[in-house]
Amino acid sequence: MAEIWVEKYRPKRVAEVVGNKQSVQAFVEWMRKWELGKPPEKKAVLLYGPAGVGKTSLVLAYAREHGYDVVEVNASDWRDESRMKSIVGESSLQATLDGTTKKIILIDEVDGIAGREDAGGIAALRKIIDETRTPLALIANNPWDPKLASIRDRCLMLEFRRLRKSEVIARLREIAKSEGIQVSDKVLQALAERSEGDLRSAINDFQAITGGRKVVDEKVLEVLGTRNRVKQIFDALRMVFNAKSIRAARAALEGLEVDLDMVYVWLLDNAPQQIPDPEDFADAMEALARADVFLARVNKKQQWRLIRYAVPIMTGGVAVSRRHKPSGFVKFAFPSRIRLMQQTSREREVRKSIAAKIAGKLHLSTAKAMAHMLPYISFIASNNPEEGKKLAEYFELTASELAYLSGGKVEKEKAKAAAKPARRTRRRRR
Amino acid sequence: MEEISRLPWVEKYRPKSLDEIINQEEVVSSLKNILRTKAVPHMLFAGPPGVGKTATAHAFARDLFGDRYIEDGHFLEINASDERGIQTIREKVKMFARQIPMGGYGFKILFLDESDQLTDDAQHAFRRVMEQFSSTCRFILAANYSNRIIEPIQSRCAVFRFRPLSKADVIKYLKKIVENEGLEADDQALEVIYDFSEGDMRKAINILQASASIAKKIDEKVVYQVMGYVSRGEVRKILELALSGKFADARDEVRRILYVQGIMPSDLISAIYRELFYLDLSEEDKLDLLDLLGEVDYRISEGATPEVQLMAFLARLATKRKR
Repeated sequence: MAEIWVEKYRPKRVAEVVGNKQSVQAFVEWMRKWELGKPPEKKAVLLYGPAGVGKTSLVLAYAREHGYDVVEVNASDWRDESRMKSIVGESSLQATLDGTTKKIILIDEVDGIAGREDAGGIAALRKIIDETRTPLALIANNPWDPKLASIRDRCLMLEFRRLRKSEVIARLREIAKSEGIQVSDKVLQALAERSEGDLRSAINDFQAITGGRKVVDEKVLEVLGTRNRVKQIFDALRMVFNAKSIRAARAALEGLEVDLDMVYVWLLDNAPQQIPDPEDFADAMEALARADVFLARVNKKQQWRLIRYAVPIMTGGVAVSRRHKPSGFVKFAFPSRIRLMQQTSREREVRKSIAAKIAGKLHLSTAKAMAHMLPYISFIASNNPEEGKKLAEYFELTASELAYLSGGKVEKEKAKAAAKPARRTRRRRR
Repeated sequence: MEEISRLPWVEKYRPKSLDEIINQEEVVSSLKNILRTKAVPHMLFAGPPGVGKTATAHAFARDLFGDRYIEDGHFLEINASDERGIQTIREKVKMFARQIPMGGYGFKILFLDESDQLTDDAQHAFRRVMEQFSSTCRFILAANYSNRIIEPIQSRCAVFRFRPLSKADVIKYLKKIVENEGLEADDQALEVIYDFSEGDMRKAINILQASASIAKKIDEKVVYQVMGYVSRGEVRKILELALSGKFADARDEVRRILYVQGIMPSDLISAIYRELFYLDLSEEDKLDLLDLLGEVDYRISEGATPEVQLMAFLARLATKRKR
């Protein structure tokens, strides 16, 4: 299984971090003060900006390059003051005076902890910043949340902007080279454009459309061009399956131009590949089933209000259940339910037409006729053609419908009869 | 008589009058009383499938209006499973109900089969129609589950509960058909047919007719051959796939059964229920799974998506270890 490229190509050294040179430089200088044993005036740094532009990567690259351990905490790990203190507080106070282990505390999704359920979390964090003896790197998409005001003052604010198209293209080209993939500039250009300066999504898209091939030509662009929705849904799925909080999982569907039923089936059909552990998977399926119950109530009673439970349960449920991840990158796949329905549409049509005719004669619903009559009539038709013909006349079935019903036997005995010339197989299912 | 022999047996041996209805003595005697007085209320026939609800409705109408009860426009049958929306009620039902009854009967009968399939909206609309047109039209509703019919409709109906058919009833009826068709069938074959039918007469007769299509002397083996074709051991296969960790294959098979073959979710669940006891699992695990299957069954009856609920079940099954 292939490695996930965003991990494989995460910068190993600060110099490899793409773009935002000023902020990168400022971060390095801030860290150098810690390094020299003269902690900077502001003990925390707040790296902020949109997703996929290198905030976390910078911290990890620096730590790796200069031999720091990273204590990573994200919004889903902590709920309140006491947990905040126990996880972050302890780490921050264990001085690194002996110099054997150097630490950076990395707090992801800081804007995500500002909610009500993390009561006291922000206050605790403020106190930790004041007392810390370890560099504290905070990361946020939106640092202007009023709840973060008291923290902002105590942080060195470093803005990260969307990457330039040329920067994204350059990085993709490096990856292509390293993977030995032949790809035209036009393809890279399109990927960069689509990413809107989010390098992570550009790399993910690149890996997805490459799909293991060594030559990626411009035909891929047509797919991308006409499948804007698919691309969008890929992003949403990626966010859902990797979300670290229910809130983040729910947010993945925001602004998505795909209806909820469609998102649901994509989640449903990608879950088996994305969630390798059977226990995790069973929990995820149960969450999806519970969400389905809510959606059924919405439809049955027209209680639109209940959608607000269905969405976080289906997205967050999947994310929370996914305690173990696959060992490599697993592509998201087109839902097999939709494929099955497409492949079988002709057969379903024939069966429905037959069932409707039976239903009309026997005081039954079409559904019951299909489930409770059709198999027996099919048995008779395939084993006793004379009887089958009479029944077909009675039900006013067409010749091809009768052939379909009789064909059941051909299919079933195909294996046995393989040695004999298959005279009738061609008529089957036509 | 040539025409008759072509009939599917479920139609050929359908009871034509109330006297031919079996095992529903209380229902039949009440209905006969109603026939005598001609004071026909709205009625709800509740009971499991294949026990004679539809047949009774037709027999009642024939006994009341005569053989041409349909042709003369006294009786209309609508199957709610095929037309479950509010539109059906507003157009089809209303149209029939408001027409002046003919032939001096004072009212007509509208038979709404599988009425538990109506949406809530449609049921509420239906309730108003019942009141509005009760002077010209009486309604007979049939349903597997009366609890899925909204309270206001139930309270406007005389509710008749149809009993499940006993083994003796089914076998007696099958014997009558065997004799009439000039066949032979041993007792064991008939018992096996009954076991497969689970008291559903339609199913029992279908199995018999399918058996007769390959043998004039029907024994156990013939019946198994039919059922092997009809059910194809698919359910067992699905459970085994899930247990051996091939969830995606199990899922695809479930979808094929539900969406292509059109097997009813309730039938699929019943089949899983039967197999569950024989799986190679610890008794504790079986208990767990039984509990979950019951939950799944309930959720589906409340309108949840069968496929999705069954997958949750199969995913849980996949966490269990074979003994």
